[in-house]
Amino acid sequence: MIEYRAGGTDLQQRLRSGVSQGRIVELHGEPGLAGIVLASGGARIGALTRIAALAEDRGIQAAYPALASAAATLATPQIRAMATVGGNLLQRTRCWYFRNPAFSCFKKGGDACPARHGNHLFSSCFDLGECVAPHPSTLAVALLAYDAHFETKSGQARPIEALYGNGSDARNDHQLVQGDVLAAVVLPAPAERERAAYRRAIARASAEWPLVEAVVRLALRDGIITAARVAVGAVAPVPLRRMRSENALVGSRADRQSLEAAASEAADGARPLPMTHYKRALLTATVLDALEHACR
Amino acid sequence: MELSAPTSGDLVEVNVLVNGMPCKVAVSAEDSAVELLREGLQLTGTKLVCGEGVCGACTVLVDGIPMNSCVLAATALDGRSVTTIEGVGAPLHPVQQAFIAHDALQCGYCTPGFVMEAIAFYDCWRAKHGTKQPTRAEVVEGLSGHLCRCGAYVGIIVALRAACEGRFDHPVAYGPRMEAVDKVTGRALFTTDVRERGQLEGVILRSPHPHARVVSVDLSAASALPGVAAAVQLLPDGAKVRYVGQEVAAVAAIDRRTAKHALALIRVVYEPLPAAVGVDAAKARGAPRVHPRFSLSAPRAAEGPRVPARWRGNVHDTFDGLSFKAGKARKLIAAARTRQDPLLIEKRWQADVQIHTAFEPHACVACWSGDALVVYASTQAAAYVSQRIAKHLGMAKEKVRVIAEHVGGGFGAKLDLSAEAIAAIELARVARASVRVVLDRQEEMTVGGYRPGARIHLALLARPSKLEALQVAAYADAGVAVGSQIALLARMIYPAAAKALSDFSVASHQPPGKPFRGPSGPVTAWALEQAVDEAAARLGLDPIALRRRWDPDPLRGRLYDWAENLVLWRNRPAPGSERGRYRRGVGAAAANWIYFFQKDCEVEVGVDKGRIYVATAVQDVGTGIRSVLADAVARTLGLPPTQVDVRLGDTQLAKGPISSASRSTATLVPSAVQAALRLRTKLERRSLSWKLAPDQIGSLHARSGRPRDVRRASSAARPLAGTGFFGLLTRAGFNFFLKLGVGRGYTGAVHVTEVEVDTRLGTTRVLNVAAGLAAGRLAAPELARSQCYGGIIQGIGYALYEHREVDPSSGVVLTSGLEDYRIPGIGDVPEIELHFDQRGFAHAAGASVGLGELSTLGVAASIGNAVHNATGWRPLHLPIRPDRLLEGTTR
Repeated sequence: MIEYRAGGTDLQQRLRSGVSQGRIVELHGEPGLAGIVLASGGARIGALTRIAALAEDRGIQAAYPALASAAATLATPQIRAMATVGGNLLQRTRCWYFRNPAFSCFKKGGDACPARHGNHLFSSCFDLGECVAPHPSTLAVALLAYDAHFETKSGQARPIEALYGNGSDARNDHQLVQGDVLAAVVLPAPAERERAAYRRAIARASAEWPLVEAVVRLALRDGIITAARVAVGAVAPVPLRRMRSENALVGSRADRQSLEAAASEAADGARPLPMTHYKRALLTATVLDALEHACR
Repeated sequence: MELSAPTSGDLVEVNVLVNGMPCKVAVSAEDSAVELLREGLQLTGTKLVCGEGVCGACTVLVDGIPMNSCVLAATALDGRSVTTIEGVGAPLHPVQQAFIAHDALQCGYCTPGFVMEAIAFYDCWRAKHGTKQPTRAEVVEGLSGHLCRCGAYVGIIVALRAACEGRFDHPVAYGPRMEAVDKVTGRALFTTDVRERGQLEGVILRSPHPHARVVSVDLSAASALPGVAAAVQLLPDGAKVRYVGQEVAAVAAIDRRTAKHALALIRVVYEPLPAAVGVDAAKARGAPRVHPRFSLSAPRAAEGPRVPARWRGNVHDTFDGLSFKAGKARKLIAAARTRQDPLLIEKRWQADVQIHTAFEPHACVACWSGDALVVYASTQAAAYVSQRIAKHLGMAKEKVRVIAEHVGGGFGAKLDLSAEAIAAIELARVARASVRVVLDRQEEMTVGGYRPGARIHLALLARPSKLEALQVAAYADAGVAVGSQIALLARMIYPAAAKALSDFSVASHQPPGKPFRGPSGPVTAWALEQAVDEAAARLGLDPIALRRRWDPDPLRGRLYDWAENLVLWRNRPAPGSERGRYRRGVGAAAANWIYFFQKDCEVEVGVDKGRIYVATAVQDVGTGIRSVLADAVARTLGLPPTQVDVRLGDTQLAKGPISSASRSTATLVPSAVQAALRLRTKLERRSLSWKLAPDQIGSLHARSGRPRDVRRASSAARPLAGTGFFGLLTRAGFNFFLKLGVGRGYTGAVHVTEVEVDTRLGTTRVLNVAAGLAAGRLAAPELARSQCYGGIIQGIGYALYEHREVDPSSGVVLTSGLEDYRIPGIGDVPEIELHFDQRGFAHAAGASVGLGELSTLGVAASIGNAVHNATGWRPLHLPIRPDRLLEGTTR
């Protein structure tokens, strides 16, 4: 198996532990894969753009504040300086069974998920496939909320949802075909005067994988929500859009009652594992938190 | 596209500018930058701790930007400029000076990483803002990618803010910790940094089974691998392994990669046996036995002497030995239960396992020279370990020398001869070369040690004027280890008419727990101090006022006075008054601890080559004992401390104490003072002065053991007094087996803590901690403060974040890195106010008693009480995780 190396922040850990035995292919130095281009029609972010560069980009901060906020919140300053946007989107799961060389699992070519009947405290509460590990990419949640597309070296341009599938594929962290390489993500222009927020639930002050995370976007006219996007992470094998929450928001006033009603729809369809029931309540809470922040 | 595609094992040449020097280094494709720096260039100032980009200890500047060298590919350095800690500091950078002046470090293992990040922050800040002071929040955000297990964050924040403000732009010579210069420059040599000529790397093969018999071990293929110098069996054929991770065999080879390859070639035949992973499985009917009946061989998770016990299945039962009218206590509580006495507080408490995870892992370098052995060890007990090695190998004591110049934290996990040392010694003997064995983080998190988990059934019968009766049954989960003092410690603080105290350990097929800073203490306080809080609520009394009624100790009485007058305490919200999403709460907890000193130690003070020195084989684990010794001698002789050299961490010196049970200061300060006085007498008798030229004095020294405490004229209580036969036995055990003196008087602590609970997301943020601590005169006030800050921060970790998780069927530790095992970060540090009451130990030789443990005991309990004050919900299960808080508060 080939392991592509960009920032290396994920791969080096797996090489050290022995979980990765792959042949390494370096991506760095490839021209045209790094950098942010903003235009009136939207933004194009090269896959090798560093996360810190994304977080600090003034244009991104202005047009896509929840993306900038997500980028600025994830991991630590050093990791953000090293890791790339593409690497974040395509990183392997953080499941502690996957990361531990003592276990076999679907994502290591095995035929069982040891977390499902083992200790799955940080696993999904949407049981969408045989693997119960939540997808770790924070940027994916933001890009999903921003209706982003991804482009590959082979020339494909598809919606970000297609990068991950519906969560039923237990073996892969993403749906790129072997040999293809992510080139960029492309964001359409934001709505006029839209508001957005990224929020995460963590135990400590910072530098922690979220228990639940959410990105919301709201377009308001005269206090009425005219468009909404709600995307959540750390709860399912793929980042999820919460259409029922969005539908509840559109057409209603941005008041406490409707935000709470919309947030309560976010956990619709959740099927927690024995140890992840808390994530259902936390999901509703995190979405509400993001909605309130967006309305501030 | 494919710029370079080296396959594993092939070497690639990297051209990199390191600290301004062009270097060509051959690296493997999978190597990280930290290996290039530490192994390739032997720049050992950069430390490897987590290996997964979490803790920041390995941070270096790459083209001026801080990066984690543990997760940065070595090949990525090609054509780049790297600055390591060795590249700064001549002269000292203002940031380094600030770290020294504000004591922004303890063990020093994370320090180089912090310094590099802080320098980058400083440079950037000064370029943008000049000498404007950054806010606390800005500094915290800038350093949020760094962890410190000792909890030196308070000093770090102050230091960086002061440096940015320009307060250290001109050299400042002063710092309270004499080895700080070595630690902020990366020059301090830890065991992991030792490199002898021809040194080999050793790695350990560990059991994948929680319970199995080792049928056979075939080392032949591993031994035959090119580059392998030795392969040894650590367990004999037929022996049992009792936990995943137990050491079975070891290999030494020219480098770590070769040694790891060789491990995979060792063929072990196991006969798997039924296992009991965790307390529930171990207590189940028909559970496999972990230890044979009547076994005395189980490792110890507590520091006290072995007390009489019997086995009931896997339950190790200590006969309620230290109870006091146990039958009466049970009767009183049963009657209260029957009549539904509202003043009976009875609950079941629980605590998850807390892992020590010192940043320097367990590490050892063994070197034989003829029949003599030199061992570099990351240990809290150099002198004791050297004795244990001699005994283990059947050697004369003088032939074994243990060196521990700097130790990157211990917290109780490094008190004994452990497997990595035995492996290094055996491998070095076979290989006839020096061998280094360093545990990786996963090994450290699995077998390095942990505070046992606990389940406590505590019933307390309250009366307004006194504690009527107390019943505690505590079950400790220390894996294959036994020994727990949770119930026993409930004996020490509030007198009662009757107490029934039972300590059990439940043996299961898990790695052994070890003593951890104040063994059992924080757990006892978690249950007892919350029960007292509950009693105060039911009696309608102020919780501190109730403690004053119940607790006759004069020393804690003064701490209660201090606590009651805190604005923090007086402004605490009325119960139930906080109703919004964010709820503020304030809680208090009291604790006490025994004053220990070690009886078989000596300190030597002498003159050598015109310099005064003080020498003893103690080790500095981050407490700053060097400065404590230098100050004691300097004060006695009327010299500035800078004129006193300190020699320690070497068993060729006078026998030093184990760095545990808060004993070092109480043991060494009086001995050092006495030895200094003797030296002065010797000099005076010869009409000499240490100010003379070296050749006029020659070499002269004096030694002293610890002078006795004042025997009478002390109103201080004698610990364990009135505990009958078992109490006598315990005291005798301390005395004769552990050489540990139990002094008169308890040290005391009162913690008052303010939290803010986010009832929506389930998080608890500690805003303020005020700690009143009474442990006699402070031998070194600034170092005492640092140690107490660290104890409080570790207590916050225990209260809110830290919990080991295990796979229930295999017993594999899942929280095997600092990503999943969460220790407090710099953003989790509250404002901390320390109040020291220095009276009460005039009878103690030296008048100073240890406070490393005292400072952490009541932290979790005070947070529990604060959360209750904020939310009305009583947390019973440690830590107070978001999921538990949400479940509790929304029920």
